[in-house]
Amino acid sequence: MNKQSIQPEARNHSNADGKVVPKFIRRSIFALSIDDPQLEQKAYASWADAIILDFTKALGRDWQADLKNRMPAAICAAATGGAEIFIRINQDFSLAELDATVFTGISGVVLKSVKEPEDIVTVSQCLDALEVSRGIETGFLEIDVEVDKAGAVWHSLEIARASQRFGIFLINEHALSSDLGMQSEPELDFDPLEYIKSQLITVATSVGGQALGMSYPLSLTQENVSGDALETAVRRARDTGFKGAVCPHASWIKFCNEGFRPSTDEADYYVKVIEVFAEGLSRGMASVPLEGKMIDVPVDVRAKVYLNWADRAQARDQAKAQAHEKESS
Amino acid sequence: MNNRVSRCAMFVTPTNPRFIDKAWTRGGDVYILDMEDSIAPAEKQRCRTLMRESIEKAKKGGASVYIRINKPFVDADLPYAVWPGVDRIMLPKTETIEELQHAHEIILRLEKERGIPLGSIELSPMIESALGAVNICELLDATPRKNWSQGGANGYDMAVNLGIEMFADFDQYAFPGAYVALGAMTRNVESVGAVFVPNTSGRVDQSDQAAKQAAALHSAGIQHAGALHPAFIEPLITGLSPTTKETAWANAVIEAFDELTDVGESVGKLNGRVIDTYENAMAKRTLKWASDCADKDAYKARSMTNALADQAT
Repeated sequence: MNKQSIQPEARNHSNADGKVVPKFIRRSIFALSIDDPQLEQKAYASWADAIILDFTKALGRDWQADLKNRMPAAICAAATGGAEIFIRINQDFSLAELDATVFTGISGVVLKSVKEPEDIVTVSQCLDALEVSRGIETGFLEIDVEVDKAGAVWHSLEIARASQRFGIFLINEHALSSDLGMQSEPELDFDPLEYIKSQLITVATSVGGQALGMSYPLSLTQENVSGDALETAVRRARDTGFKGAVCPHASWIKFCNEGFRPSTDEADYYVKVIEVFAEGLSRGMASVPLEGKMIDVPVDVRAKVYLNWADRAQARDQAKAQAHEKESS
Repeated sequence: MNNRVSRCAMFVTPTNPRFIDKAWTRGGDVYILDMEDSIAPAEKQRCRTLMRESIEKAKKGGASVYIRINKPFVDADLPYAVWPGVDRIMLPKTETIEELQHAHEIILRLEKERGIPLGSIELSPMIESALGAVNICELLDATPRKNWSQGGANGYDMAVNLGIEMFADFDQYAFPGAYVALGAMTRNVESVGAVFVPNTSGRVDQSDQAAKQAAALHSAGIQHAGALHPAFIEPLITGLSPTTKETAWANAVIEAFDELTDVGESVGKLNGRVIDTYENAMAKRTLKWASDCADKDAYKARSMTNALADQAT
């Protein structure tokens, strides 16, 4: 039985709580500056699932007016490769920055320097108004949180629950380590943030969101390492529960796109699981063996959920490919 | 019998005579009669009708009996699960206060109708999702019924919820495992399992794996564990019981600490180790646990002897 012969209802499977896993296919996030003259080319060539736009505030003139002028075109340019677009906002100046940067074409904002849930409430209320004034569907814009402060970890559950707009925790391990007073050199043989990472993954999942991050020590060094090393690091990050990573180098993107999803081999195995279990059920069996392991209801559910994940990742790749074709033609 | 002693709670499938008829001979502290994942959908109703006789079968060797019901079928399952002889109801994938309160109310009604002492059947929210984990404290406060905490780490359901493949060689549940256990401890509720032990094979029938798991739990002060295969029973029961050496040490600590107290001291040394109020409290805990285990083992031995005699006649 090949993958295509699984019935649609078996492939389009959500978790027990009715939510798909993961909520978003955002395996690779790439940050680019709107001031970069090669913004469009870099965005197009990156194949990132999402792009975060950073900006600088012009000195000696009205920076808000300047950004308002430039941002719509920058959003269009960044989206040419089919990536979702987010704007990175500093919580400390959030209202002014939001007003200057939120336009049609973005999926949401990434807030940094968040310390407490009230920060999210304030931004959410601001987005309510901006959606109306700028012709964006009400409630559409997402709030993602870049975790770079101890307060964001400590209040993570309240932050995630502060607004329906919450989507993702992105762990900025370098900044967080600094805020916690930890060494920036990865000299330990264990991950000192293991518990915090697990906390953010669990909390984000509990509200139907997800967390993005990388495994230690690459999470801290952010090095441009070899493919094998990156592949191993991504696998561990995925096994930790991360659904993607912010890529400091364009070279990371391919490995994140391939690694933060069930592999072809895994998808083939899930197909077998579904097939064998369905056959067992037809004989009145609640558990059946497959390659030395027992397949029962939770294993079958997992296979369907993860196969759906693989399908959605593939669809995301196809959508980006179409965007590239459209642009090149 | 003392339900506190559940060094090994093994899942048993009531619809499979090969499993349910022999379970009592295996020596487990607890048998969990499963109405959930080990029962095929087409067998659910037949399983319900088998529960009363399954309870009797499972208890023959002196074990406690828990029943795992189905989250989507709480109303349909509980009338078949709440009977005299049942010690605990396990509610899978618990996430909200309302789910627990609903189950509690039904159990209370059935206890009244069936002459079961009110509130005597314990309730165990099984934490198998991120939402359940972060809600653990509210869940344990949700009803007046005695609660036990179960889960937070491992298990297919938690893995699917978090979107991870199981059986990695590192602890994938660092937060939910510890948070659920800690939350339970703040409520003076005992927790089942929360310590990472590598098992990259994913097999559940290897006794050496059970021994490693028991050693890790024992070190962490957790005395309860679950099992899916009889091969786990003996290693878990042995590994989670205090050793002769541990009880001898506990007796010596208590004696030495009493002597310290008599002379107005609170810290001293015994065989080169510091003893203080914490060591004294730990020693008392060890002896209480040893006593509970001995009682349970004696009860099981008597029950087993009687059951075998009945069988012979």
